[in-house]
Amino acid sequence: MSLIPMLLLFLLMLLLKSPWTAPLSVPDAGTDLALGFILIFAYLFGKQSARLRLPSITGYLFAGLLCGPFVLGFLNRGDVNHLQLLDGLALSLIALTAGGEMHLDRLRGRFKSIFSLVGFQTLFIVTGFLLLGWIARPLFAPLAGGDAAGLAAFVLLLGTLATATSPSTTIAVITETRARGPFTDLVLSAAVVKDFFVIGFFAFALSVSRSLLSTDSSFDAGFLGHVLEEIGGSVLIGAAVGAGIILYLRYINRELTVFILAIAFFTYQISHDSGFHPLMICLTAGFLVQNLSPHGDCLIQALEKVSTPVYVIFFAISGASLDLHALRAGWLLAVICVLWRALLKFGGTWVGARLAGESDEVQKRGWGGFISQAGVTLGMAVIIEDAFPEWGGSFKALVLALIAINQVIGPIFLQKLLLSFGETRGRSE
Amino acid sequence: MHAIYAFGVLILLAFLGSRLLYRRSRPLSPFNFLFLTGLVYIFLGLFLGRQGTNILSSEVLRGFAPLISLGLGWIGFLFGFQLERRYLRRFPVKFLWLSWFQFLFNLLFTILLLTFALGRILPETPSPLRYGMAIAFGLLVSLNSPTLLNAVASRLPCRGDYYYLARFLSSVGAFWGITGLMLLQSFWRFPPSAGPAWLRGAGWTAASTMLPMLLGYLFHRLTKGRVAEQDLLVYLLGLVFFASGAAVFFNQAPLYVGMVLGITYSNLTRIQERIYPLLLSSEKPLFVVLLVLIGALWEFRLDPAALALVGLVLFSGAAGNILPLPLLGRALRFPVRLPHRFGLCFLSAGGIGVAFAVSLKLAYPMPETDLFLGISLTVIILSELISPGVIRLVLDPLDEET
Repeated sequence: MSLIPMLLLFLLMLLLKSPWTAPLSVPDAGTDLALGFILIFAYLFGKQSARLRLPSITGYLFAGLLCGPFVLGFLNRGDVNHLQLLDGLALSLIALTAGGEMHLDRLRGRFKSIFSLVGFQTLFIVTGFLLLGWIARPLFAPLAGGDAAGLAAFVLLLGTLATATSPSTTIAVITETRARGPFTDLVLSAAVVKDFFVIGFFAFALSVSRSLLSTDSSFDAGFLGHVLEEIGGSVLIGAAVGAGIILYLRYINRELTVFILAIAFFTYQISHDSGFHPLMICLTAGFLVQNLSPHGDCLIQALEKVSTPVYVIFFAISGASLDLHALRAGWLLAVICVLWRALLKFGGTWVGARLAGESDEVQKRGWGGFISQAGVTLGMAVIIEDAFPEWGGSFKALVLALIAINQVIGPIFLQKLLLSFGETRGRSE
Repeated sequence: MHAIYAFGVLILLAFLGSRLLYRRSRPLSPFNFLFLTGLVYIFLGLFLGRQGTNILSSEVLRGFAPLISLGLGWIGFLFGFQLERRYLRRFPVKFLWLSWFQFLFNLLFTILLLTFALGRILPETPSPLRYGMAIAFGLLVSLNSPTLLNAVASRLPCRGDYYYLARFLSSVGAFWGITGLMLLQSFWRFPPSAGPAWLRGAGWTAASTMLPMLLGYLFHRLTKGRVAEQDLLVYLLGLVFFASGAAVFFNQAPLYVGMVLGITYSNLTRIQERIYPLLLSSEKPLFVVLLVLIGALWEFRLDPAALALVGLVLFSGAAGNILPLPLLGRALRFPVRLPHRFGLCFLSAGGIGVAFAVSLKLAYPMPETDLFLGISLTVIILSELISPGVIRLVLDPLDEET
């Protein structure tokens, strides 16, 4: 039913953005138009993909990709940059939801599995990428500047980034499918814990890489203090925000939508600018509200109310910013890295799940829940681009290509997996 | 201040503001009416803006221009959505004619008066711009809003024919002014473009009307079957943003485009009862954000020319509403007589007047429209302050008579 309106909307946008109307339009005034269009078009696209038994967010991403600056150009780079202002809001809402969905009673007894999965995936992927760098030297060396130290730093950082799984995508698929159960909890918790772990490990890998490439700088151990400070401070701020939300829900409990939006926005921006980890803050806050107060369900309901439009825009803009030029330029290496990463994910998950005593199903198929990659990986790639100007650009291009592929296939894998584990109750079922 | 923090401040204000807005338990003093209509947030915007603390600096405001346009489209949609055939049919057609003639008289009277006065107050301004300002002021004073009337309603001892007539007229009256704004923008393009003006204007008029009608139909198609609340919210937000975005993209009036979208959809759909709660839940915070941003845009000035213009616009608005009523009442054969003083019920332009003024300012970014915005905001605020008392003074005895 939504196909005809979608087509009409598409044709209308084609007309509005056609070369004939260009002289009649106001320059740089297309952001509102782009926002309205992408919100509906991506949402309808998501509905169509749900009909094809694919996750809605795959539809949002594809819609963004299709309408973005690299394909049809309905959204130009300026529009995408403008709309990325919403990223912080979306990420905070996602993290609040993730925290709110983590029930302590359901997680008890799974800590061993979570840490085992995270630990072995990281170990397999980082060592695996170092190995790949050594085996496929001819492919990596030109990108890394030619010398051995550069190559080692390049693949170490690539391996570190490849470890990450996108919690936001994981949460979005879980929310959409309304999945609930032991495997869902495991995937979600591992994705979130891994995010923290990867950030810490990234600081370590960055410092090692700097040491490898610099003749006069020695290994900087001070980073550990910074990482601990960042994590500890974020947890403390998260606890304060969580306490604030609990008090608000207990004593006021009105205008929840605006309250949640305000909390999400301020938390993200202030913490981000002051060097703390906004995702960790919101996650802690959501976790505390869910597990230390009777208002967890109330928070989740308020979040669900505002989250749909924000998620649609967030993932559509993510799709629009996927760099197809980078993918076209380095698709062969990107495909090799994606396949290699998937293989290593399988190995890490298999060993980790086996040692933690998880079921055969989790051991063999659990890896499929950890494929997606998005914001955090991209953020780290940007830091690397700044830190290593001689090869940071080609590194970022390769990572963008990896994200493009993983972000498209990741949600599909996860949804299929949740379906096969029989833990979904949502529309995609 | 960084745009992001400013946005955060706005969300917080929206939150606090929506808690204060529309509180009915307070005693209704003029100051509380400013809260009730939300106009106090214009002062807050003035305080946060360039002339105050500069938190909402010019740079930040440029970044927020899309938000203002979206707010205007939203207000237009809210207004248009109320113009449902089922509601309008409950009233005799002569009510609509009265509304139209009152608008026309008000517009022409103000244009005549201000064309004459502006030549003396602003002699250095080019005459085409003076005519444009006169038309804009004419459209502004012909707008009216039912918010204050509804608020005063609980204080009226008896609500009779006059009250219901006043409510109808103030509910539909803004239609003409908003349409006038669209015609102004269609026939007087900024920046000017080549080609015969009438043909261009007709083309823009048709486009500004057809596009939201098509989108309204699309909205109806999308919500025809069983539709979840989440879907409804996404379609509503998306289509209002799309319509107002398209208007801004072609320098047309988002207020008008939103209004036509609202009218089309409300007359096609059968799920009005599901849309109203959605609109109401988002209305207050959005309105507060918009008013704060508008306040920040306001270049407040207090010089003899500005004061003279405020006085003149207030006078022409009052006179334009008062003068034609007895004659129109007789010409349209109203069952009750329409005394001059009944016209004083229509002084309040409320939020729709503010939206109109800022819409014009955004469409014509020039120093003259800064002056227009400043004068308009002052006139609207003064009207809001005096209207509640005047409405009670007028309606009480009239309704007691009937």
